[in-house]
Amino acid sequence: MNRWLIVVGREFKTRVRKRAFIIATLLGPILMVGAIVVIAFLAEQATHSDAKVLFVDHNNLITYSLSGSEGVRIPSCTECFSERSFLEYRFTNQALTTEEFIDSDFTAMLELDDGIMQSAKAVLQYEVAPSIRVTSAIKRDLGEAVERLRVKNESSLDYETYKRLKVRIGLVTQDIVTQDKNVQHKTGVGFAFAMFMFMFIMIYGMHVMRGVIEEKSNRIVEVVISVIKPEHLMSAKMAGIGLVGLTQILVWSLLSWILFIAFGFYAESSGLLVNLMSEHGTQVATTDFSSFLEASDDLNVLMQIDWLMMVGWGAFFYVAGFALYSSLFAAIGAAVESEADAQYLLLPAMLPLMFSYMVNMMILESPESMLATVCSFIPFTSPITMMIRLSVGVPWWHVVISALILIVTVYIMIKMAGKVYKTGILMYGKKPTLREMFRWLMYKN
Amino acid sequence: MNTVNDSKPSALELVEVRKQYGDHTALDGVSLNVPEASIFGLLGPNGAGKTTLIRMVAGITGPDSGSISFFGKYLTSEHINEVGYLPEERGLYKNMRVGEQAMYFARLRGMSKAVARKELLDWFERLEVDGWWNREVSDLSKGMAQKIQFIVAVIHKPKFLILDEPLSGFDPINAARIRKEIIRLRDEHGTTILLSTHDMSSVDELCDHVALINHGRKILDGPVNSLREKARAGKIDLIFRGNLISFTAALGSGAVLHSANSMGDNVHEVVLGLPASIPIEKFLKWVTTEVDVLSCSPQSVSMDDVFLRAVQDSAANKIEQS
Repeated sequence: MNRWLIVVGREFKTRVRKRAFIIATLLGPILMVGAIVVIAFLAEQATHSDAKVLFVDHNNLITYSLSGSEGVRIPSCTECFSERSFLEYRFTNQALTTEEFIDSDFTAMLELDDGIMQSAKAVLQYEVAPSIRVTSAIKRDLGEAVERLRVKNESSLDYETYKRLKVRIGLVTQDIVTQDKNVQHKTGVGFAFAMFMFMFIMIYGMHVMRGVIEEKSNRIVEVVISVIKPEHLMSAKMAGIGLVGLTQILVWSLLSWILFIAFGFYAESSGLLVNLMSEHGTQVATTDFSSFLEASDDLNVLMQIDWLMMVGWGAFFYVAGFALYSSLFAAIGAAVESEADAQYLLLPAMLPLMFSYMVNMMILESPESMLATVCSFIPFTSPITMMIRLSVGVPWWHVVISALILIVTVYIMIKMAGKVYKTGILMYGKKPTLREMFRWLMYKN
Repeated sequence: MNTVNDSKPSALELVEVRKQYGDHTALDGVSLNVPEASIFGLLGPNGAGKTTLIRMVAGITGPDSGSISFFGKYLTSEHINEVGYLPEERGLYKNMRVGEQAMYFARLRGMSKAVARKELLDWFERLEVDGWWNREVSDLSKGMAQKIQFIVAVIHKPKFLILDEPLSGFDPINAARIRKEIIRLRDEHGTTILLSTHDMSSVDELCDHVALINHGRKILDGPVNSLREKARAGKIDLIFRGNLISFTAALGSGAVLHSANSMGDNVHEVVLGLPASIPIEKFLKWVTTEVDVLSCSPQSVSMDDVFLRAVQDSAANKIEQS
């Protein structure tokens, strides 16, 4: 046991202190969030290249002229066209010709349809395509102006009453048994978990294989297994490297959580949240981050996910899935003498992993399908598939049975891999075939 | 045919050890006796079964049948810390520092951190690799790395040390230093050393006893001196000035002329077989009447010759048997 721990310690320490690992672990979430921020910033920059729009109202429907100055008009509803930093209107009833427009300093020209009161259409011409933020602001402004006019012309209501009466339906989807809501969004979270699972099993499984090959090719393994049983060396190696993966997951989760909270604070204090809310048309009494999330149709899923359960089972399925696959990788590493030789043996080991990845894509749309259920019990696919099912809710006994099947399989796999490992690790000078490796399973001693 | 000197108790005793890998018989009933505090040379061509034998003693594998005794007890995993092992074609972990790596192996052999550190520093100094403690393994020259590996194999003061080609890769100066250390371990610490090698000069210099295995069988063993004596079989080298024909006539019926070689200027070098019944003084008296004897010495036999002959003999036996 003592020796086993010494080996685990070495496997863990030598990897964790590597510069590449430290950078990836600390910067991973920061880079991810950073990428999002950069994109958002660039988008912001794009909108800041101010739009100057010429608003052409041929029929003088929603603008009136200011006496004296020819061509310059004022919107009848000034509050509809509120001042914005990125958008400036000029109102007229004379369209510019193409040449005139190009010579002018306008970035876009908005021409109302003659029948805009019925058709609710307008044409926006531009030289440089305006950003989505500009077009959606124009749509909102013009829409409100037309709406006000319609309400005034065709009803006895005042606009405020109309607005109060207007209905916007929020559709909440709910499982009748589990009472779980907005399942589609939750699969997204489950999918993210599954992807990380796939990634970590792959990356650290390869670490195990490479480590085994290193020890074999430089004969260190002979010294080590004269002290510790080969099966124990293998399991210690797997444990040490698995722990490295777990450490990275832990740090990433923690950092992501901190960054998320920090973003919440920033959004609350900077007024970004208020902007976001008004743009989403969300109406909430308080403007703190969590109520914003709660109110957002897309994001409230973050509040509804049982994070503790996801992380807890996620950790279990990572450990078990990693043990399952890395024992395969260890056996392969022991059988060959170089990474190049390992390629042809890797394929059969990778297939189930690739398969679970593809299944995941399919069941993302239908997490409660037969395929999803079956795959969440098969030990080679369950670590990845179960994460999606967990996110949308799954009967507890499904998870427990799946976990038990997985544990038993892991035990058998480690035993078998240990036999192949033990024989392969001392075998030099020939490339074993799969058939030969199966024969090693039968060796005694 | 146990020719080992029985006055010393045995450190390692193999009795009829067999090991089969699939269809391949790696060891076919090998018996060996390694006396305590001696250097025992294990010799044989590639694929003879040496590695299998060594791995058994190192505790990596066990025999299919037969027994291995270690200082009078059956070899078990309890003896792990009493065995040191330096495998052939060895390497080190690339992603560790030198000292840290040495500490790792010392601790795997059951040493405490403090003791391991102190012992390692002593060894580092003795083999002049001090100052390398915090260096990367990738910075080491081949010879340096070999020294570290040697230290790692002996750091826990094993009673029994297995060295597989310990001198390969060393320059002559460092090879001599390691040779000195091997002898020191035997003489000062009473370490028993099993030395596997192809390098016959190191056998001549180091080994007290040897065993030769081929095709999984032991074909020769015994103390180095008595093996040489036996191979010599009463042959003598003689150099004389004079007539070869009258010299041959003077030999009479007792001695046999094996070979003759003219060195010019009427000087000849001959190899003679002399039966035990004729003392060498008497023989010399005969021939000095006919020729001037310039030198006379028992034939020099290298271990190389001993083994080549033994391997050839065993091959010949095999053919006869089949």
